Amino acid sequence: MSKPNPKEIKAVADVAGIPVDAEVAERVSNSIGPAFEGFAAIAGTLPFDLEPATYLLMQTAKVAK
Amino acid sequence: MSTEPALMTLTAVARAITDKELSSHEVTRSCLHRIAQWQPHLNAFMAIEAEAALKAADEADAALAKGNKKGVLHGVPLAHKDMYYDAGKVVTCGSLIRRDFVPTTTSTALQRLKDAGSIRLGSLQMAEFAYGPTGHNAHFGAVHNPWSLPNITGGSSSGSGSGVAARLTFAALGSDTGGSIRMPAHFCGVTGLKVTYGRVSRAGAMPLSQSLDTVGPLAQTAEDCALLLQLMAGPDPEDPTASSVAVPNYMAAAAASIKGLKIGVPTSYYVDDLDPEVARILDETVAVLKREGADIIKVELPDQRQLSSASQLVLAVEAAAFHKRWLIERPQDYGPQVLMRLQNGLAIPGVTYLEAMRWRGAALAAHVAATSGVDAVIAPVSPVPAPTIAESDIGNTPGAEAVIQRLTRFTRPVNYLGLPSLAIPSGFTKSGLPVAMQLIGRSFDEATLLTIGGGFQRATDFHARVPSLP
Repeated sequence: MSKPNPKEIKAVADVAGIPVDAEVAERVSNSIGPAFEGFAAIAGTLPFDLEPATYLLMQTAKVAK
Repeated sequence: MSTEPALMTLTAVARAITDKELSSHEVTRSCLHRIAQWQPHLNAFMAIEAEAALKAADEADAALAKGNKKGVLHGVPLAHKDMYYDAGKVVTCGSLIRRDFVPTTTSTALQRLKDAGSIRLGSLQMAEFAYGPTGHNAHFGAVHNPWSLPNITGGSSSGSGSGVAARLTFAALGSDTGGSIRMPAHFCGVTGLKVTYGRVSRAGAMPLSQSLDTVGPLAQTAEDCALLLQLMAGPDPEDPTASSVAVPNYMAAAAASIKGLKIGVPTSYYVDDLDPEVARILDETVAVLKREGADIIKVELPDQRQLSSASQLVLAVEAAAFHKRWLIERPQDYGPQVLMRLQNGLAIPGVTYLEAMRWRGAALAAHVAATSGVDAVIAPVSPVPAPTIAESDIGNTPGAEAVIQRLTRFTRPVNYLGLPSLAIPSGFTKSGLPVAMQLIGRSFDEATLLTIGGGFQRATDFHARVPSLP
Protein backbone atom coordinates (compact mmCIF):
# COMPACT_ATOMS: atom_id res chain seq x y z
CA MET A 1 0.00 0.00 0.00
CA SER A 2 1.47 3.34 -1.01
CA LYS A 3 0.42 6.75 0.19
CA PRO A 4 -1.69 8.86 -2.17
CA ASN A 5 0.42 11.29 -4.17
CA PRO A 6 -0.49 15.00 -4.43
CA LYS A 7 -2.19 14.52 -7.80
CA GLU A 8 -4.43 11.77 -6.40
CA ILE A 9 -5.18 13.86 -3.33
CA LYS A 10 -6.28 16.78 -5.48
CA ALA A 11 -8.60 14.49 -7.40
CA VAL A 12 -10.12 12.86 -4.34
CA ALA A 13 -10.60 16.24 -2.62
CA ASP A 14 -12.41 17.51 -5.71
CA VAL A 15 -14.73 14.50 -5.62
CA ALA A 16 -15.39 15.17 -1.93
CA GLY A 17 -16.42 18.72 -2.85
CA ILE A 18 -13.53 20.29 -0.93
CA PRO A 19 -10.94 21.26 -3.55
CA VAL A 20 -7.37 21.80 -2.36
CA ASP A 21 -4.52 23.51 -4.18
CA ALA A 22 -1.26 21.85 -5.14
CA GLU A 23 0.58 23.09 -2.07
CA VAL A 24 -2.04 21.68 0.29
CA ALA A 25 -2.13 18.39 -1.63
CA GLU A 26 1.65 18.09 -1.27
CA ARG A 27 1.44 18.81 2.46
CA VAL A 28 -1.38 16.31 2.97
CA SER A 29 0.55 13.63 1.12
CA ASN A 30 3.58 14.16 3.34
CA SER A 31 1.48 14.33 6.53
CA ILE A 32 -0.37 11.07 6.04
CA GLY A 33 2.56 9.21 4.50
CA PRO A 34 3.87 7.78 7.78
CA ALA A 35 0.42 6.46 8.74
CA PHE A 36 0.16 4.62 5.42
CA GLU A 37 3.66 3.22 5.84
CA GLY A 38 2.94 2.12 9.40
CA PHE A 39 -0.23 0.33 8.35
CA ALA A 40 1.19 -1.19 5.15
CA ALA A 41 1.93 -4.54 6.74
CA ILE A 42 -1.73 -4.95 7.72
CA ALA A 43 -3.43 -3.55 4.63
CA GLY A 44 -4.59 -6.24 2.27
CA THR A 45 -3.91 -9.09 4.69
CA LEU A 46 -7.09 -9.30 6.77
CA PRO A 47 -9.27 -12.43 6.70
CA PHE A 48 -12.36 -12.19 4.49
CA ASP A 49 -14.96 -12.40 7.25
CA LEU A 50 -13.41 -10.00 9.76
CA GLU A 51 -15.82 -7.19 10.63
CA PRO A 52 -15.33 -4.00 12.66
CA ALA A 53 -17.85 -5.28 15.23
CA THR A 54 -15.38 -7.99 16.20
CA TYR A 55 -13.79 -5.30 18.31
CA LEU A 56 -16.84 -5.03 20.58
CA LEU A 57 -16.84 -8.81 21.02
CA MET A 58 -13.17 -8.72 22.05
CA GLN A 59 -13.85 -5.98 24.60
CA THR A 60 -16.53 -7.97 26.38
CA ALA A 61 -14.88 -11.33 25.87
CA LYS A 62 -12.01 -10.10 28.00
CA VAL A 63 -14.41 -9.08 30.76
CA ALA A 64 -16.12 -12.46 30.71
CA LYS A 65 -12.76 -14.17 31.05
CA MET B 1 -8.59 22.27 57.76
CA SER B 2 -6.43 23.85 55.09
CA THR B 3 -6.33 27.63 55.19
CA GLU B 4 -7.08 27.65 51.45
CA PRO B 5 -10.00 25.34 50.59
CA ALA B 6 -9.14 25.40 46.86
CA LEU B 7 -5.99 23.41 47.65
CA MET B 8 -7.95 20.44 48.97
CA THR B 9 -8.61 17.34 46.93
CA LEU B 10 -12.03 16.82 45.39
CA THR B 11 -12.81 13.97 47.74
CA ALA B 12 -11.77 15.95 50.82
CA VAL B 13 -13.63 19.13 49.91
CA ALA B 14 -16.80 17.23 49.04
CA ARG B 15 -16.68 15.58 52.45
CA ALA B 16 -15.96 18.89 54.20
CA ILE B 17 -19.00 20.55 52.61
CA THR B 18 -21.26 17.61 53.44
CA ASP B 19 -19.99 17.62 57.04
CA LYS B 20 -20.52 21.40 57.18
CA GLU B 21 -16.88 22.01 58.05
CA LEU B 22 -16.83 24.34 55.05
CA SER B 23 -19.63 26.03 53.18
CA SER B 24 -19.97 25.82 49.43
CA HIS B 25 -19.74 29.62 49.47
CA GLU B 26 -16.34 29.55 51.21
CA VAL B 27 -15.06 26.90 48.85
CA THR B 28 -16.34 28.64 45.73
CA ARG B 29 -14.91 31.98 46.85
CA SER B 30 -11.54 30.31 47.42
CA CYS B 31 -11.54 28.91 43.87
CA LEU B 32 -12.61 32.26 42.43
CA HIS B 33 -9.82 33.99 44.34
CA ARG B 34 -7.23 31.66 42.81
CA ILE B 35 -8.82 32.01 39.38
CA ALA B 36 -8.52 35.80 39.62
CA GLN B 37 -4.85 35.44 40.57
CA TRP B 38 -3.88 32.83 37.97
CA GLN B 39 -6.09 33.41 34.93
CA PRO B 40 -4.07 36.37 33.60
CA HIS B 41 -0.99 34.10 33.59
CA LEU B 42 -2.56 30.87 32.36
CA ASN B 43 -5.52 31.62 30.07
CA ALA B 44 -6.99 28.37 31.43
CA PHE B 45 -10.63 29.51 31.52
CA MET B 46 -12.81 30.17 28.50
CA ALA B 47 -15.52 31.73 30.69
CA ILE B 48 -15.56 32.64 34.38
CA GLU B 49 -19.01 32.84 35.91
CA ALA B 50 -18.23 34.18 39.38
CA GLU B 51 -21.60 35.70 40.23
CA ALA B 52 -23.60 32.68 39.09
CA ALA B 53 -21.23 30.32 40.88
CA LEU B 54 -21.58 32.15 44.19
CA LYS B 55 -25.37 32.24 43.81
CA ALA B 56 -25.42 28.49 43.16
CA ALA B 57 -23.12 27.96 46.15
CA ASP B 58 -25.46 29.92 48.41
CA GLU B 59 -28.39 27.84 47.17
CA ALA B 60 -26.42 24.66 47.85
CA ASP B 61 -25.64 25.85 51.38
CA ALA B 62 -29.28 26.72 52.01
CA ALA B 63 -30.42 23.32 50.75
CA LEU B 64 -27.90 21.52 52.94
CA ALA B 65 -29.01 23.53 55.97
CA LYS B 66 -32.51 22.17 55.36
CA GLY B 67 -31.17 18.63 55.14
CA ASN B 68 -31.47 18.42 51.36
CA LYS B 69 -28.20 16.98 50.15
CA LYS B 70 -28.21 16.48 46.40
CA GLY B 71 -25.35 13.99 46.17
CA VAL B 72 -21.70 13.34 46.95
CA LEU B 73 -20.59 16.48 45.11
CA HIS B 74 -23.10 18.73 46.85
CA GLY B 75 -21.93 22.33 46.50
CA VAL B 76 -18.57 21.47 44.94
CA PRO B 77 -17.60 24.02 42.27
CA LEU B 78 -16.14 22.56 39.08
CA ALA B 79 -15.24 23.70 35.58
CA HIS B 80 -14.91 21.49 32.51
CA LYS B 81 -13.46 21.46 29.02
CA ASP B 82 -15.62 23.72 26.87
CA MET B 83 -17.03 20.91 24.75
CA TYR B 84 -19.62 19.45 27.10
CA TYR B 85 -23.08 20.61 26.13
CA ASP B 86 -24.74 22.44 28.99
CA ALA B 87 -28.25 23.53 28.02
CA GLY B 88 -28.49 27.30 27.70
CA LYS B 89 -24.74 27.92 28.05
CA VAL B 90 -22.36 28.87 25.24
CA VAL B 91 -20.13 25.91 24.35
CA THR B 92 -17.39 27.10 22.01
CA CYS B 93 -15.50 23.83 21.46
CA GLY B 94 -12.46 26.12 21.36
CA SER B 95 -13.53 27.35 17.94
CA LEU B 96 -14.67 30.40 16.03
CA ILE B 97 -17.27 28.31 14.27
CA ARG B 98 -19.04 27.48 17.53
CA ARG B 99 -18.19 30.67 19.36
CA ASP B 100 -21.88 31.44 19.89
CA PHE B 101 -23.25 27.89 19.97
CA VAL B 102 -25.84 27.37 22.70
CA PRO B 103 -26.96 23.74 23.05
CA THR B 104 -30.47 22.82 24.15
CA THR B 105 -29.38 19.63 25.89
CA THR B 106 -26.82 18.75 28.55
CA SER B 107 -24.22 16.03 28.09
CA THR B 108 -24.87 12.87 30.06
CA ALA B 109 -21.50 12.94 31.81
CA LEU B 110 -21.96 16.54 32.89
CA GLN B 111 -25.57 15.95 33.93
CA ARG B 112 -24.51 13.08 36.17
CA LEU B 113 -22.01 15.35 37.93
CA LYS B 114 -24.69 18.01 38.29
CA ASP B 115 -27.13 15.43 39.65
CA ALA B 116 -24.51 14.66 42.30
CA GLY B 117 -24.62 18.31 43.36
CA SER B 118 -21.68 19.97 41.60
CA ILE B 119 -21.98 23.61 40.61
CA ARG B 120 -20.48 25.46 37.65
CA LEU B 121 -17.49 27.82 37.91
CA GLY B 122 -17.33 28.48 34.17
CA SER B 123 -15.73 26.64 31.27
CA LEU B 124 -12.16 25.69 30.42
CA GLN B 125 -10.04 26.38 27.36
CA MET B 126 -9.18 23.63 24.89
CA ALA B 127 -7.59 23.02 21.53
CA GLU B 128 -9.86 23.98 18.64
CA PHE B 129 -12.38 21.13 18.25
CA ALA B 130 -10.13 19.03 20.53
CA TYR B 131 -7.79 18.48 17.59
CA GLY B 132 -4.33 19.36 18.90
CA PRO B 133 -1.92 17.87 21.44
CA THR B 134 -0.01 20.96 22.56
CA GLY B 135 -2.43 23.49 24.09
CA HIS B 136 -2.13 26.09 21.33
CA ASN B 137 -5.34 27.67 20.09
CA ALA B 138 -5.27 29.94 17.04
CA HIS B 139 -8.40 31.79 18.15
CA PHE B 140 -8.20 32.04 21.93
CA GLY B 141 -4.45 31.88 22.53
CA ALA B 142 -2.24 29.24 24.08
CA VAL B 143 -2.90 27.97 27.59
CA HIS B 144 0.16 28.21 29.84
CA ASN B 145 1.67 25.61 32.11
CA PRO B 146 1.46 26.69 35.76
CA TRP B 147 4.80 25.02 36.50
CA SER B 148 6.56 27.12 33.85
CA LEU B 149 4.57 29.72 31.94
CA PRO B 150 6.64 29.56 28.72
CA ASN B 151 5.89 25.83 28.41
CA ILE B 152 2.91 24.03 26.93
CA THR B 153 0.13 22.38 28.88
CA GLY B 154 -0.48 19.66 26.37
CA GLY B 155 -3.83 19.23 24.73
CA SER B 156 -6.41 19.04 23.78
CA SER B 157 -7.75 19.35 27.35
CA SER B 158 -5.34 22.23 27.94
CA GLY B 159 -7.47 24.30 30.32
CA SER B 160 -8.40 21.19 32.28
CA GLY B 161 -4.74 20.30 32.89
CA SER B 162 -3.66 23.84 33.66
CA GLY B 163 -6.69 24.62 35.83
CA VAL B 164 -6.44 21.50 37.97
CA ALA B 165 -2.67 21.88 38.37
CA ALA B 166 -3.04 25.48 39.58
CA ARG B 167 -5.90 24.41 41.88
CA LEU B 168 -8.48 26.61 40.16
CA THR B 169 -10.94 23.73 39.98
CA PHE B 170 -10.89 20.52 42.02
CA ALA B 171 -11.29 18.44 38.88
CA ALA B 172 -12.31 18.84 35.27
CA LEU B 173 -13.73 16.76 32.51
CA GLY B 174 -11.44 16.29 29.57
CA SER B 175 -11.72 14.07 26.51
CA ASP B 176 -9.20 11.65 25.09
CA THR B 177 -9.19 10.65 21.41
CA GLY B 178 -5.44 10.42 20.86
CA GLY B 179 -4.07 11.39 24.28
CA SER B 180 -5.97 14.56 25.14
CA ILE B 181 -6.43 13.75 28.82
CA ARG B 182 -3.11 12.03 29.44
CA MET B 183 -0.97 14.64 27.66
CA PRO B 184 -2.14 17.57 29.84
CA ALA B 185 -1.93 15.32 32.90
CA HIS B 186 1.69 14.56 32.00
CA PHE B 187 2.77 18.09 31.15
CA CYS B 188 0.87 19.75 34.04
CA GLY B 189 1.44 17.20 36.81
CA VAL B 190 -2.12 16.05 37.51
CA THR B 191 -3.88 12.71 37.45
CA GLY B 192 -5.85 11.93 34.29
CA LEU B 193 -8.02 8.94 33.48
CA LYS B 194 -8.65 7.87 29.90
CA VAL B 195 -11.46 5.34 30.26
CA THR B 196 -12.23 2.24 28.23
CA TYR B 197 -14.06 3.09 25.02
CA GLY B 198 -17.75 2.83 25.99
CA ARG B 199 -17.28 3.14 29.76
CA VAL B 200 -18.70 6.70 29.92
CA SER B 201 -21.44 8.04 27.69
CA ARG B 202 -20.34 10.40 24.92
CA ALA B 203 -23.83 11.85 24.49
CA GLY B 204 -23.66 15.62 24.43
CA ALA B 205 -19.88 15.70 24.22
CA MET B 206 -18.53 17.34 21.06
CA PRO B 207 -17.50 14.54 18.71
CA LEU B 208 -14.11 14.28 17.05
CA SER B 209 -13.86 10.59 16.20
CA GLN B 210 -16.80 8.39 17.15
CA SER B 211 -14.67 5.24 17.31
CA LEU B 212 -11.94 6.71 19.51
CA ASP B 213 -13.51 9.48 21.65
CA THR B 214 -13.65 8.93 25.39
CA VAL B 215 -14.86 11.14 28.24
CA GLY B 216 -12.84 11.22 31.45
CA PRO B 217 -11.60 13.27 34.40
CA LEU B 218 -8.45 15.15 35.32
CA ALA B 219 -8.00 15.68 39.06
CA GLN B 220 -5.38 15.80 41.78
CA THR B 221 -5.53 12.13 42.73
CA ALA B 222 -6.54 8.68 41.59
CA GLU B 223 -9.12 8.72 44.38
CA ASP B 224 -10.67 11.87 42.90
CA CYS B 225 -10.79 10.26 39.47
CA ALA B 226 -12.43 7.22 41.02
CA LEU B 227 -15.12 9.38 42.59
CA LEU B 228 -15.95 11.05 39.26
CA LEU B 229 -15.86 7.82 37.28
CA GLN B 230 -18.19 6.23 39.83
CA LEU B 231 -20.73 8.94 39.07
CA MET B 232 -20.36 8.94 35.28
CA ALA B 233 -19.84 5.30 34.27
CA GLY B 234 -22.59 3.09 32.93
CA PRO B 235 -25.08 2.75 30.13
CA ASP B 236 -27.01 5.65 28.65
CA PRO B 237 -30.04 5.47 26.35
CA GLU B 238 -28.67 8.56 24.59
CA ASP B 239 -25.44 6.80 23.58
CA PRO B 240 -25.71 3.28 22.11
CA THR B 241 -21.97 2.80 22.49
CA ALA B 242 -22.12 3.35 26.27
CA SER B 243 -21.55 -0.12 27.67
CA SER B 244 -23.73 -1.99 30.16
CA VAL B 245 -20.73 -3.84 31.57
CA ALA B 246 -21.10 -3.77 35.38
CA VAL B 247 -19.67 -0.73 37.16
CA PRO B 248 -17.47 -1.81 40.09
CA ASN B 249 -16.71 0.14 43.27
CA TYR B 250 -13.92 2.43 42.03
CA MET B 251 -13.50 4.23 45.35
CA ALA B 252 -12.80 0.93 47.09
CA ALA B 253 -10.38 0.04 44.30
CA ALA B 254 -8.45 3.29 44.73
CA ALA B 255 -7.97 2.49 48.42
CA ALA B 256 -6.85 -1.11 47.89
CA SER B 257 -3.31 -2.45 48.19
CA ILE B 258 -1.16 -2.99 45.13
CA LYS B 259 0.65 -5.88 46.79
CA GLY B 260 0.87 -8.83 44.44
CA LEU B 261 -0.35 -7.00 41.35
CA LYS B 262 1.69 -7.72 38.25
CA ILE B 263 2.87 -4.70 36.28
CA GLY B 264 4.42 -5.09 32.86
CA VAL B 265 7.28 -2.96 31.59
CA PRO B 266 7.51 -2.95 27.78
CA THR B 267 10.78 -4.08 26.27
CA SER B 268 10.52 -1.75 23.28
CA TYR B 269 8.71 1.23 21.70
CA TYR B 270 7.69 2.88 25.00
CA VAL B 271 11.28 2.78 26.22
CA ASP B 272 12.87 3.86 22.94
CA ASP B 273 14.23 7.37 22.31
CA LEU B 274 13.20 8.71 25.71
CA ASP B 275 14.39 12.00 27.07
CA PRO B 276 16.93 11.00 29.76
CA GLU B 277 14.86 12.54 32.54
CA VAL B 278 11.71 10.72 31.41
CA ALA B 279 13.74 7.49 31.35
CA ARG B 280 15.01 8.18 34.87
CA ILE B 281 11.51 8.86 36.18
CA LEU B 282 10.18 5.69 34.55
CA ASP B 283 12.85 3.68 36.38
CA GLU B 284 12.11 5.46 39.66
CA THR B 285 8.37 4.87 39.29
CA VAL B 286 8.88 1.19 38.66
CA ALA B 287 11.13 1.04 41.74
CA VAL B 288 8.42 2.61 43.92
CA LEU B 289 5.79 0.19 42.65
CA LYS B 290 8.13 -2.72 43.35
CA ARG B 291 8.81 -1.42 46.84
CA GLU B 292 5.07 -1.19 47.44
CA GLY B 293 4.66 -4.85 46.63
CA ALA B 294 3.94 -5.04 42.91
CA ASP B 295 5.60 -7.70 40.78
CA ILE B 296 7.44 -6.14 37.86
CA ILE B 297 7.52 -8.21 34.68
CA LYS B 298 8.99 -7.46 31.26
CA VAL B 299 6.40 -7.65 28.46
CA GLU B 300 6.83 -7.83 24.70
CA LEU B 301 3.97 -5.98 23.08
CA PRO B 302 2.81 -6.32 19.48
CA ASP B 303 4.03 -3.69 16.99
CA GLN B 304 2.80 -0.42 18.49
CA ARG B 305 3.68 1.59 15.39
CA GLN B 306 1.02 -0.28 13.46
CA LEU B 307 -1.53 0.54 16.15
CA SER B 308 -0.54 4.20 16.12
CA SER B 309 -0.84 4.31 12.32
CA ALA B 310 -4.27 2.67 12.39
CA SER B 311 -5.34 5.17 15.03
CA GLN B 312 -4.27 8.08 12.81
CA LEU B 313 -6.14 6.71 9.81
CA VAL B 314 -9.36 6.26 11.78
CA LEU B 315 -9.14 9.64 13.50
CA ALA B 316 -8.32 11.57 10.31
CA VAL B 317 -11.26 10.15 8.36
CA GLU B 318 -13.85 10.40 11.13
CA ALA B 319 -12.83 13.97 12.01
CA ALA B 320 -12.97 15.05 8.36
CA ALA B 321 -16.43 13.50 8.01
CA PHE B 322 -17.78 15.34 11.07
CA HIS B 323 -16.38 18.61 9.76
CA LYS B 324 -17.17 18.22 6.07
CA ARG B 325 -20.00 20.74 5.99
CA TRP B 326 -17.91 23.41 7.66
CA LEU B 327 -14.90 22.52 5.50
CA ILE B 328 -17.07 23.41 2.52
CA GLU B 329 -18.85 26.42 3.99
CA ARG B 330 -16.40 27.97 6.47
CA PRO B 331 -12.82 26.82 5.84
CA GLN B 332 -11.53 30.30 6.64
CA ASP B 333 -12.84 30.01 10.20
CA TYR B 334 -10.52 27.16 11.18
CA GLY B 335 -7.06 27.72 12.61
CA PRO B 336 -4.31 26.68 10.16
CA GLN B 337 -3.25 23.51 11.97
CA VAL B 338 -6.76 22.17 12.50
CA LEU B 339 -7.67 22.88 8.89
CA MET B 340 -4.53 21.08 7.76
CA ARG B 341 -5.30 18.02 9.87
CA LEU B 342 -8.91 17.89 8.74
CA GLN B 343 -7.75 18.05 5.11
CA ASN B 344 -5.55 15.02 5.81
CA GLY B 345 -8.68 12.94 6.30
CA LEU B 346 -9.92 13.69 2.80
CA ALA B 347 -7.03 11.77 1.28
CA ILE B 348 -7.54 8.42 2.98
CA PRO B 349 -9.51 5.92 0.86
CA GLY B 350 -12.64 4.37 2.32
CA VAL B 351 -11.20 0.88 2.03
CA THR B 352 -8.11 1.87 4.02
CA TYR B 353 -10.28 3.38 6.75
CA LEU B 354 -12.40 0.24 6.95
CA GLU B 355 -9.35 -1.99 7.03
CA ALA B 356 -8.16 -0.01 10.05
CA MET B 357 -11.56 -0.53 11.68
CA ARG B 358 -11.72 -4.23 10.76
CA TRP B 359 -8.28 -4.89 12.27
CA ARG B 360 -9.19 -3.37 15.63
CA GLY B 361 -10.64 -6.52 17.20
CA ALA B 362 -7.73 -8.65 16.06
CA ALA B 363 -5.26 -6.08 17.34
CA LEU B 364 -6.99 -6.03 20.72
CA ALA B 365 -6.88 -9.83 20.85
CA ALA B 366 -3.15 -9.76 20.16
CA HIS B 367 -2.62 -7.20 22.91
CA VAL B 368 -4.66 -9.23 25.39
CA ALA B 369 -2.60 -12.30 24.59
CA ALA B 370 0.69 -10.42 24.96
CA THR B 371 -0.33 -8.97 28.34
CA SER B 372 -2.13 -11.99 29.77
CA GLY B 373 0.51 -12.35 32.48
CA VAL B 374 0.14 -8.85 33.91
CA ASP B 375 -2.59 -6.69 35.44
CA ALA B 376 -1.39 -3.48 33.79
CA VAL B 377 1.42 -2.11 31.67
CA ILE B 378 3.41 0.98 32.66
CA ALA B 379 4.78 3.40 30.07
CA PRO B 380 5.63 7.07 29.72
CA VAL B 381 2.81 9.30 28.48
CA SER B 382 5.19 11.13 26.16
CA PRO B 383 8.90 10.73 25.40
CA VAL B 384 9.62 14.30 26.50
CA PRO B 385 8.69 16.79 29.23
CA ALA B 386 6.76 19.91 28.21
CA PRO B 387 8.41 21.78 25.32
CA THR B 388 8.01 25.53 25.17
CA ILE B 389 5.00 27.18 23.58
CA ALA B 390 7.33 28.94 21.15
CA GLU B 391 9.19 25.86 19.93
CA SER B 392 5.99 23.85 19.51
CA ASP B 393 4.09 26.61 17.70
CA ILE B 394 4.21 24.64 14.48
CA GLY B 395 0.91 25.69 12.91
CA ASN B 396 0.50 24.11 9.48
CA THR B 397 4.18 23.98 8.62
CA PRO B 398 5.37 20.98 6.54
CA GLY B 399 6.85 19.27 9.58
CA ALA B 400 3.88 19.88 11.88
CA GLU B 401 2.34 16.42 11.60
CA ALA B 402 5.67 14.78 12.43
CA VAL B 403 6.00 16.88 15.61
CA ILE B 404 2.44 15.99 16.62
CA GLN B 405 3.04 12.31 16.03
CA ARG B 406 6.25 12.35 18.07
CA LEU B 407 4.50 13.94 21.06
CA THR B 408 1.58 11.50 20.92
CA ARG B 409 3.29 8.28 19.89
CA PHE B 410 2.77 6.67 23.31
CA THR B 411 -0.88 7.61 23.67
CA ARG B 412 -2.40 6.76 20.27
CA PRO B 413 -2.07 2.95 20.44
CA VAL B 414 -4.18 2.95 23.60
CA ASN B 415 -6.98 4.87 21.87
CA TYR B 416 -6.98 2.49 18.93
CA LEU B 417 -7.31 -0.49 21.28
CA GLY B 418 -9.88 1.40 23.36
CA LEU B 419 -8.10 0.46 26.58
CA PRO B 420 -8.20 2.41 29.85
CA SER B 421 -5.09 4.32 30.89
CA LEU B 422 -4.39 6.28 34.06
CA ALA B 423 -1.76 9.02 33.89
CA ILE B 424 -0.16 9.64 37.28
CA PRO B 425 2.32 12.37 38.26
CA SER B 426 5.56 10.45 38.69
CA GLY B 427 8.33 12.97 39.15
CA PHE B 428 9.87 16.26 38.10
CA THR B 429 12.73 17.19 35.82
CA LYS B 430 15.69 19.12 37.20
CA SER B 431 14.14 22.27 35.74
CA GLY B 432 10.91 21.64 37.64
CA LEU B 433 8.66 20.28 34.89
CA PRO B 434 6.29 17.45 35.85
CA VAL B 435 6.43 14.04 34.19
CA ALA B 436 3.69 11.39 34.28
CA MET B 437 3.60 7.68 33.60
CA GLN B 438 0.55 5.94 32.21
CA LEU B 439 -0.81 2.67 33.52
CA ILE B 440 -2.52 0.81 30.68
CA GLY B 441 -5.11 -1.74 31.71
CA ARG B 442 -7.54 -4.29 30.36
CA SER B 443 -10.85 -3.31 28.82
CA PHE B 444 -13.27 -2.09 31.52
CA ASP B 445 -10.69 -2.66 34.27
CA GLU B 446 -10.21 0.94 35.36
CA ALA B 447 -10.43 -0.40 38.93
CA THR B 448 -7.01 -2.06 38.80
CA LEU B 449 -5.44 1.10 37.41
CA LEU B 450 -6.98 3.14 40.22
CA THR B 451 -5.62 0.62 42.74
CA ILE B 452 -2.11 1.00 41.35
CA GLY B 453 -2.43 4.78 41.04
CA GLY B 454 -3.84 5.11 44.54
CA GLY B 455 -1.09 2.95 45.98
CA PHE B 456 1.59 4.92 44.17
CA GLN B 457 0.15 8.22 45.41
CA ARG B 458 0.08 7.01 49.01
CA ALA B 459 3.82 6.36 48.66
CA THR B 460 4.76 9.59 46.84
CA ASP B 461 3.86 13.28 46.91
CA PHE B 462 4.27 14.34 43.25
CA HIS B 463 0.49 14.68 42.86
CA ALA B 464 0.25 16.89 45.95
CA ARG B 465 2.79 19.52 44.91
CA VAL B 466 1.35 22.90 43.98
CA PRO B 467 2.94 25.41 41.60
CA SER B 468 3.71 28.88 42.94
CA LEU B 469 2.08 32.00 41.59
CA PRO B 470 4.56 33.74 39.24
